[in-house]
Amino acid sequence: MTVPYRYYDIRRVTGEVTQIDVDNGKVEQAGSSFFDKAVIRVLGDKGWGVFSVSGEEADYEKLPEKLIKEALDASSITTVNISLQDSPSSIHKVPSMKENPADVSLDEKVSVLLDLYKHTEGQDIVSRRINYIEKDEEVSFSDSLGHQYDYHLCRCGFSVMAVASRAGIVQMGYERDHTISGLNIRHRQELASEAAHRAVRLLDAKPSKGGIMKAVLDPELAGVFAHEAVGHASEGDLIKEGSSILKGKINELIGSPLLTIVDNPSLPEFGFCPVDDEGSETKRTEIIKNGVLMSYLHSKETLASIGHGDTGHCRGMPGVEPIVRMSNTFIENGDASYDEIIEECKTGILLKGSRGGQVDPGRGMFQFNAEYGYIIENGELSTMVRDVSLSGEILQTLHTISLIGNDMALHPGYCGKGGQTVPVTDGSPHLLLHNAVVGGCEID
Amino acid sequence: MIDEIFRAAQKITDEAEVLLAHSESISADLKQDNIAIGSRTRGSGLIIRVIKDGKIGVSCTDNPQSWKKCLDAAVASAKFADPVNWKGLPDPQQLDKKPLAFDNRITPDPALVMNLISRLKSGAETYNADITSGSASLAWSEHTLANSHGLFYSEKGTQAQVGLEMIAGQSTGYESDSSWNLDNINPEKTGEEASFFAAKGQNGEEIKTGTYDVILSPQTISQLLDAAIIPALSGRNVHTGRSFFADKMGQQVAGDNISLIDDPFDSRGLANSAWDGEGMPVRKIPFIENGILKSFAYDLRTAYRYDQEPTASAVRTGQSGAPAIGNHNLLITGKEMNVYEEPGIYVHDLIGAHTANPMSGDFSVELSSPFKVHDGEMSEPIRTGMISGNIFEILHKIDGCSKETKTLGSLIVPTVRISGLSVIGRA
Repeated sequence: MTVPYRYYDIRRVTGEVTQIDVDNGKVEQAGSSFFDKAVIRVLGDKGWGVFSVSGEEADYEKLPEKLIKEALDASSITTVNISLQDSPSSIHKVPSMKENPADVSLDEKVSVLLDLYKHTEGQDIVSRRINYIEKDEEVSFSDSLGHQYDYHLCRCGFSVMAVASRAGIVQMGYERDHTISGLNIRHRQELASEAAHRAVRLLDAKPSKGGIMKAVLDPELAGVFAHEAVGHASEGDLIKEGSSILKGKINELIGSPLLTIVDNPSLPEFGFCPVDDEGSETKRTEIIKNGVLMSYLHSKETLASIGHGDTGHCRGMPGVEPIVRMSNTFIENGDASYDEIIEECKTGILLKGSRGGQVDPGRGMFQFNAEYGYIIENGELSTMVRDVSLSGEILQTLHTISLIGNDMALHPGYCGKGGQTVPVTDGSPHLLLHNAVVGGCEID
Repeated sequence: MIDEIFRAAQKITDEAEVLLAHSESISADLKQDNIAIGSRTRGSGLIIRVIKDGKIGVSCTDNPQSWKKCLDAAVASAKFADPVNWKGLPDPQQLDKKPLAFDNRITPDPALVMNLISRLKSGAETYNADITSGSASLAWSEHTLANSHGLFYSEKGTQAQVGLEMIAGQSTGYESDSSWNLDNINPEKTGEEASFFAAKGQNGEEIKTGTYDVILSPQTISQLLDAAIIPALSGRNVHTGRSFFADKMGQQVAGDNISLIDDPFDSRGLANSAWDGEGMPVRKIPFIENGILKSFAYDLRTAYRYDQEPTASAVRTGQSGAPAIGNHNLLITGKEMNVYEEPGIYVHDLIGAHTANPMSGDFSVELSSPFKVHDGEMSEPIRTGMISGNIFEILHKIDGCSKETKTLGSLIVPTVRISGLSVIGRA
């Protein structure tokens, strides 16, 4: 049997997830589950055929013809001719871990977490929870061009939540850290305490007032800003579909000349991709350089279709077809110190931490929420505020960046798109925005 | 295989439970005007839960044939769990086993998916806007839940789903629809509404900051319920100090005529079943009745740990396959009215609703597709705006609800009219 395909690839991800949940002093769960998923993509006469099956069915020895045939059948309903760009293909070495979580017993992990739990105590603290997750993956990729890659990657991390309550006010403090560099729960008592301290301090914080003002974003929140406001809008699939305001803007000055934004899946951070999920080499892509839009993020399909940028940005969850995604996205350092930024702000607000964000790239609107903030008066921090958000139009806001700090830091997290969640990092130095639209729960 | 698992488990645990699932699907993805991707999926899952001396262990696998490894992991995980005052898995009951969410016309037939896509596209021609992406999918599944008390429930289910994203200038429109029954899915209307919001949302004016009456779409209401109200009804959050409702049982927490009810048998539901994720017979639960807080939701573990009555509220979602507290068909009801009769601001969707404060309910989020409502209709688009307030306070500010509802996952929601919300404008 010969199957008339133009291209195929298959990716199988096999692994184990370990989760531990310590909730109000009780170990509610501590154990492991197993997953084994494969996805086969075939380019038929016209478009893609995608077939997702349990990994067992996709055993390499038995593979090609039967599964490729099923994927090809799935492509029979497509109505548009898709072509792919040739792309460089290679794999980066996965850095070794300091302490492999697989070498540490569940018993020991549970006792480390129970010790962390003790450090979340405090006056007015009414609820505490610590979650640990460890995802150990073996990835196998091969394609019809003859590429074959196998790698092992373990991502692990934890979150600490503390809830404080007094006189009818309830507030939450939340800290987390995720990594690819090995077990990260030892000696983290300070981070655990910080969640509790923050929850208590937020009880006395004032609800913030909405309005248009100068705003300083801390590295975590500014990283979310880079991710939500710029990263998503530069994804090649959205450009191709016509649902991004960055379409047709290559080589245009779209933001402050101070601003350079990069996505780099080859960085060994939480969003690390040794090779992307369609076999392309991963490397640094400058999306914006000195305020000018330089590149989009691409898969082989979107680069062939619209040009401008690099492949290597195509990622999928286990068993799901890959789509254009960010990985490690950050704003490059400027030269202002933190003190200079606060001083230059004079009157405004400092926004810290992130409760997440969202963007409508077609409309060019974004929204995200800080965990807390401080009013800035006379160039100094004053009252602590809570429930403060920032939203606005991407293109307008990029021009309002007036200072960029020299203290870039990356923060791990997860990003959702098209029903798929992938690990990422976002990062930035402190930023000063003038004319930011800040939302709060109190208005004049 | 299930019997083999129980035989093996019997020697080392007090009780065991198996959930075996198999599902398949077929789908088509639109990119602009064309179908660019055709997909099929086929997968199985096995979840084993064991209880030993009140300690609960669970594990799951994609490869049911490797059940031994899964059982070992479940037994190992029980060792570390803190025990609860376990009162047993449910015994088998005489339940009507007729599937409540199964349409035998839903099969892996590519022609059916093509039909949904062409109907979606024909609806999309109603107003002048371009398709950016869309999809249609059909899925069918079979679940078997069994436990060592002899309970053995098996059930088939189906699901059809369509969604469409459109754009006109810089105005976007998104709509989706799903049902287990092919007769109840309306791709034409889904396409028409996506094109309406894209086409009619262009050239909006900015509005002034102030207090406005707002009309919130089912999508908007469901996002606000998900962000704070539903978590606050979870028994686990109530007993661990994470629920705004914890100390308010029997108190007024919403307007007089507002009720929030979980009705597992409501015919508009997407995946109705006579039993929950642990095999408990489901029943109607009034969380809030005429404004009064009446009940919280419990699975077996939480009910046993905190000495409460189980409410058959277990669902199977998370990565570990363990049952968790959820709801089946959550309905919000209030005084029925024409929500568009009086002027106000219509909000079709929110950007960033998940960033609300889940403890306090305070939120401040950007609007999607907002319109001014005049003379009973969406008269003119608004360019941008944020709404802010408190999700728990909104329950007291509901003027009324539309008769028509939309089913979004496990929520059945009307369009809701709210008086006096803060809107931050940019005029």
